[in-house]
Amino acid sequence: MDGLVRLSFYLFAASSMALGAAAVCYIVFAVGRVRVLRHAMATDTGMTVTSTSTHVEAGPIGFARWGTMLTAFGAFFATLAVVTRWSAAGHFPLTNMYEFSLVFVAFISWVHLAFERMYRVRQLGAITLTAAFGMTLYIWSLPADMREVNPLIPALQYNSILTFHVGAAVLSYATFTVAFAAAVFYLIAANRDVAWLPSAEMLDDVAFRAITIGFPLFTINLILGSVWAHEAWGTYWQWDPKETAALFTWLVYGVYLHTRTLRGWRGNRSAYILIFGMAATLFTYYGNYFFGGLHAYGGV
Amino acid sequence: MADISARTSPKPSRSPIEVGVDRIWRFFCSVRAAVAEISFLTLLVLIGTLRGSAVPQWIADAIPATQGFVDRWYAWDVFRSGIFAATLAIIAIAIIVCTLNRVPGIWATISHPKVTTTHGFLRGAETSATFQTAQDSAALTSSVTDLLGKKRFRVLTEKVGDETHIYADKNRMAKLGTFPFHLALILLLVGGIVASVYGFRDQEFIIPEGSRRNVGHGTGLSVELNRFRDTWTEVGIPSQYQSEVTIYDGNTPAKSGSIEVNHPLTYRNATFYQSSFGNAAKMLITDPNGSVLYNDAAEMGIYTLRGNPDAPAGLIRLPEQDVQITIVAPDTNPTSQPQLDQLQLRSGELWVHVEPLGGNVTPINTPMGTGEDGVVITQGQPARVGGLNLTFERETRFTVLQVGYNPGIPIFIIAAFLMVGGLAITFYFPHRRIRGIVTPGPVGATLKLAPLAKRDWSGKRDFFSLLQQAREVIGVQPEVKHPANANDYDYLRNAAT
Ligand code: HEM
Repeated sequence: MDGLVRLSFYLFAASSMALGAAAVCYIVFAVGRVRVLRHAMATDTGMTVTSTSTHVEAGPIGFARWGTMLTAFGAFFATLAVVTRWSAAGHFPLTNMYEFSLVFVAFISWVHLAFERMYRVRQLGAITLTAAFGMTLYIWSLPADMREVNPLIPALQYNSILTFHVGAAVLSYATFTVAFAAAVFYLIAANRDVAWLPSAEMLDDVAFRAITIGFPLFTINLILGSVWAHEAWGTYWQWDPKETAALFTWLVYGVYLHTRTLRGWRGNRSAYILIFGMAATLFTYYGNYFFGGLHAYGGV
Repeated sequence: MADISARTSPKPSRSPIEVGVDRIWRFFCSVRAAVAEISFLTLLVLIGTLRGSAVPQWIADAIPATQGFVDRWYAWDVFRSGIFAATLAIIAIAIIVCTLNRVPGIWATISHPKVTTTHGFLRGAETSATFQTAQDSAALTSSVTDLLGKKRFRVLTEKVGDETHIYADKNRMAKLGTFPFHLALILLLVGGIVASVYGFRDQEFIIPEGSRRNVGHGTGLSVELNRFRDTWTEVGIPSQYQSEVTIYDGNTPAKSGSIEVNHPLTYRNATFYQSSFGNAAKMLITDPNGSVLYNDAAEMGIYTLRGNPDAPAGLIRLPEQDVQITIVAPDTNPTSQPQLDQLQLRSGELWVHVEPLGGNVTPINTPMGTGEDGVVITQGQPARVGGLNLTFERETRFTVLQVGYNPGIPIFIIAAFLMVGGLAITFYFPHRRIRGIVTPGPVGATLKLAPLAKRDWSGKRDFFSLLQQAREVIGVQPEVKHPANANDYDYLRNAAT
């Protein structure tokens, strides 16, 4: 392995550990503290009756602060890992699953931090950072030869379009993950009595704001994808499964955007659609495991 | 205004057709129906996507009873099906109807919003702020309208008795952003239809070196191959080949360039890809008076004759003379079987056969033999065959290009910009609205403000950040009515501490 490539991998490893620790901190914070109160009462028969009641309150804020700090470390290391790999390869590292996933880890960490700053909802990290850490585990599980930088096959040599096409997709996946996290917390906040969570209305807004970034990016991804297909294969749209999987995901979020304007749909049902959208996103991301087709050569 | 007149004129009796049309119209206008239509389309896309994967087979493997169903699933070409096309058509109609239906109302709220409001509305609003001041009504009004103006709000006021009603809004064009976006969806469909009706894809567009050939299909384009170059590896595999061409638009040279594998050349809506190449025979054909009938290269080896299957054959058609000329070049392939070669041509020789166009012999079945049926000619020596003078001038090469012609491209480009632009306007410049009333009082005037931000967290947050500044400008602490979730907003959190 070339020195820079090796350094990139070590930076990724550092990022992976920081993000794993951040995820744990956020989960502890989000789950809250369960207080068990024990009541004892002496009865006139001489027995003592005890009863317990549980009561949940906000998790220790210190954990949330640690979560934020560790996420910042993770984001920083992941970014450096991307940059070192970029300079080693001479092109932005978005050509195989190892590289997509590495860039995703960097993006999701930054996007999470941005939303945390914007809304001050730290609970989201319990899901977004778990996703980030999960993605690092996936990277660890990939065959080791993917960590090498290999020359590109001719069809992948259209660099700038390829970079923006895949980059827009990966960034939109990061925002969809934030929307998913907000939707899950929305369903909890709207349907359970959990006073320490942000209001359902705010969580709905977080999810919507995430989609307002992700949906246009995903639209750009589809457009650039077809431009690139035209350059490389001479047709804009082949109805290739990877393309139609992306179209499917795009339409799911299109449905979401409409339901949000409908009375009776905004809220729970919109949140369920976002959860479904996350499933569609995963399906698109890992589509190469299901499909052959033109997109298969990026390597699993 | 349009919607008021519509509401105030209910027709006493309407024909069933009118009622039906109205129902259909309203069905297409409804966002609820749109959700159903898009969901159905989404489902179709999912079915079509999974068809390209092993997932249906997994289902069949898990539940053998579904095998028949799964087979039919694999057999169904969703994206070319009538149902898919019909769904797209319905969505297109819905978008058009919905747009036509919404534009007048939205335009009215943009250009002539209702300025006046009621105390009841302000009192009932979920979020509002009341400033009890010592200023007079005019001063208070001007300080709040100045502030809103500075924050890039459009401010409209109207006097009602001694009160001043205020309506302020920002990014009022945002509501229009969904129109370019949805129209772009229709443009994509239009572009797709235009591309499939007027566009084409020619897998085998052949040009001999030095010749110019029409692209055809109504494009008005033709391409001249100036030069063909190939490089070979040591083991005899072509490593790269390159066609240097000039593209003509009508009769004017429009673009020159080189086409290589993976480096296509595009002119207007046509894109040329390098595909393959072969040998050609440069021929000069004149009639007995010496006027030139044909002076071009004929590509050889695109097909071979049944009677002489290993030798490359070519065909020249001269419709005005009503003849077609079949030519065969020597079989130079060392791996061919010699017993199949009846002509035994040597290098520099061609076998030529002339017969009427539309005769009952298809070129591939041209009878072999010499004399009446065919003549062997030698390079550089004119020969008289079937009343024509033929000269085999030299051997050249031809290139095989693929041509994609897609007149939908400009439509797609416009659609792409409309989509991204429309989304950006809709999402990043949200429409914000505030209503208010300034009421004079014995001590000083009272200002009551409320945002139109029901179920809109960001709208409320923006309102609170405006209050922060209003507080400084007006110089009094407002009394704020706010939603239960006070902790969500910086303004309220700071006010509490
Ligand atoms: C069936 C045909 C369709 C109809 C009748 C329709 C109608 C509408 C309407 C009325 C709105 C405005 C809602 C509002 O501002 O209150 C809207 C918004 C929107 N629609 Fe559609 N639509 C259709 C198809 C689609 C499709 C196929 C997509 C793409 C997936 C799409 C994407 C959007 C987006 C992105 C918005 C903006 C949402 C927002 O402002 O939050 N629409 N649509």
